[in-house]
Amino acid sequence: MRMGDFKQTYAADEAVFRSGTVRFWLVVLFLAIAAFPFMVGPYLLYMANLTGVAIIAAVGLNILTGAAGQISLGHAAFVGIGAYTSAILTTKLGLPFLLCLPLSGLSAAFFGVIVGAPSMRMKGLYLCIATLAAQVIFDFIFVHWTSVTGGIRGINVPSAELFGYKLDTEFKLYFVTIPIMIAAVTAARNLFRTRVGRAFIAIRDRDISAELMGINLFQYKLYAFAASSFYAGVAGCLQVYLLRIVTPEHFPLHESIRYLAMIIVGGLGSVLGSIFGAIFMTMVPEALQSGLALFQGLDDKLMSYLFPLQTVVFGLLIVVFLVFEPHGLAEMWRRVKNYFRLWPFEH
Amino acid sequence: MKSLRVTLGVLLTLCLVLGAGAALAADTIKITAQQPITGRFAFAGKHIHQGLADSIAWANEQGGVDGVKFEYIYEDSGYDLKRAVASFKKMMAKYNPAMDYGESTGQGKALAPEINSRYHVLYGSTSFSQELADRAQNPYMFVSGPTYAQQFGILIKYIAANPKTKGKKPTVAFFYSDTAFGRDPIPYAREMAKKLGVEVVAEEVTAVGAVDITSQLLDLKRHNPDYCIFQGYVVPPIPSIIRGAKDFGLKTTFMGTFWTMSKMLLDKLGADGEGYMGVMPYAYWYHTDVPMIKVIQDFNKRHHPDVKYRPNSYMQGWFTGMVFVKLAKMCKAKGLAITGSNLKDMIPQVKDWDTQGFAGMVSFKHSNATAVGKVYVGKGGKFMPASDWIYLD
Repeated sequence: MRMGDFKQTYAADEAVFRSGTVRFWLVVLFLAIAAFPFMVGPYLLYMANLTGVAIIAAVGLNILTGAAGQISLGHAAFVGIGAYTSAILTTKLGLPFLLCLPLSGLSAAFFGVIVGAPSMRMKGLYLCIATLAAQVIFDFIFVHWTSVTGGIRGINVPSAELFGYKLDTEFKLYFVTIPIMIAAVTAARNLFRTRVGRAFIAIRDRDISAELMGINLFQYKLYAFAASSFYAGVAGCLQVYLLRIVTPEHFPLHESIRYLAMIIVGGLGSVLGSIFGAIFMTMVPEALQSGLALFQGLDDKLMSYLFPLQTVVFGLLIVVFLVFEPHGLAEMWRRVKNYFRLWPFEH
Repeated sequence: MKSLRVTLGVLLTLCLVLGAGAALAADTIKITAQQPITGRFAFAGKHIHQGLADSIAWANEQGGVDGVKFEYIYEDSGYDLKRAVASFKKMMAKYNPAMDYGESTGQGKALAPEINSRYHVLYGSTSFSQELADRAQNPYMFVSGPTYAQQFGILIKYIAANPKTKGKKPTVAFFYSDTAFGRDPIPYAREMAKKLGVEVVAEEVTAVGAVDITSQLLDLKRHNPDYCIFQGYVVPPIPSIIRGAKDFGLKTTFMGTFWTMSKMLLDKLGADGEGYMGVMPYAYWYHTDVPMIKVIQDFNKRHHPDVKYRPNSYMQGWFTGMVFVKLAKMCKAKGLAITGSNLKDMIPQVKDWDTQGFAGMVSFKHSNATAVGKVYVGKGGKFMPASDWIYLD
């Protein structure tokens, strides 16, 4: 039980990490993250990298959809733009990784602003369909602009290099992906405490009131699109160096829906929710797969039923989580935390 | 006290037995696989998986490699590149296998640099892509049959030898989908046609899952080719194209490559399937005069008594298993350890390998693909041989 935790200034009340307990656990978490790669094999490191990339993309989408209330069905396309930008810059111009990373983000942000332009006149489901159009258009460009994107065969990318050091294993990439992920998450958490972030939330909650308060709706919606696509672009760049190949098949519509599912399962508008959602959507299918591996060697017929069942169970899990906690995993986490805050004296 | 001693004794024996079991289990040749058992490719993936599993089980029944058994370990990868790569890395770390089977062309391309530099594992896959058969670039990878380009080569060779009107240059059209799968062999096919004196009169391209094919059909009618080869489809839109062509009164012979040579398509075609032709790297389930097919039927009778038919994707898995076993045996015969790098060195040395009628006499001559296939023709709902094995190299 935590005691004597009183806030005496507004600043203390507004702090991200409000108490010693939180700060203590945060240090533990960072130590665990730092120690993780030394304790596990390449498979778990690969999954960690993949999760890191998913977290960056999900946080980005949460800025746009969770905070600013603009539903996007084109997030995977922006991840794709980031991925293609870095692949093209690396293979055709030979730019180093450190330069590709921000440029991927910027190019995605640029296209994000263009796609966001219809938000001046449209909102809700209509805007959602406009972003769907972006998904389809970019997908088409990835496939058909063969001279630049390599068409359906895509582009093979050499491993990234950082200060002459080759990032050719999951272990080395981990030390790039995870710090970038942490930086991205920190930036997003702080964004919501700035004027811009507050404006996003005002627009989401009631756009007319927001406008009356002096928020330029169009301008701030474009900011939201830019920020969100920037995150997507950075995630795309990291994904390219992780998979070492980019093809249009990596950014289909259902990938966009997967990102939406991440933030809905995790908790709309919450940075922590994006993290939980990304971990959930990346790791649960793997966990189900590993569970299934225990049955291997049993009857073939039984296995032929069990395999498709994974997808069903995964879908059911999402539904069950949402039925019991519509505000997502982040809310569940908050309740658990609150329970332990007063534990063992609940009343 | 006595009971304690008995208990301890039992425990110790158990430990020893289990330990010995583990030691025995370690002495196997491990083959891992990322199989697309669910997802878009499941229609073939589940059969490929079964074919590979059965082929390896059969090899074990024959005594493995000098008594050393194979162990087949697989995971479902759902035809999703990220999952497949994850699964591959997991299995490499856990089992350190000498051989692996991948779910897609994409997986092969994504893993190629790491397989060359780090994992050194012999890699077969569901893919017939030319890129993966390039020995100089991907020495560890092989294609379980002729690549799509080679399949086109085989068909064009057949067309050149069987012109519809004597003394006239045969004409052909290519009908393909706008995908990597559809476009893969086309440049090579054009070249091959030129070389063998077959005129390419039309190329029709459709989007994936195209429903309206009227404009392509009209163009086909205008050029009236002797032969038309499909690539990049599984079933649709082929039935509507063949039906439409018949309605126009075209006498064109339609042909397919591996994926469009399935019973599934022939059943859909019904009466239109009479005379439909194509290339297949293997024999079909009902070609009981082929010795290896007899083996397969016999194996299925013993292990899967309720199975009435195995499709061509099953044969792909079975043949991949045969290649794995063959390469392992070659290693052993040369006194080499069965490792990925030794297995890879064996690929170019496979020459005139008798597959007991299943896939001709196989050699991996100029590429890590077999470059051999047979042309079959649809007759009474079955594919019957229309040629002998056609060799490209």
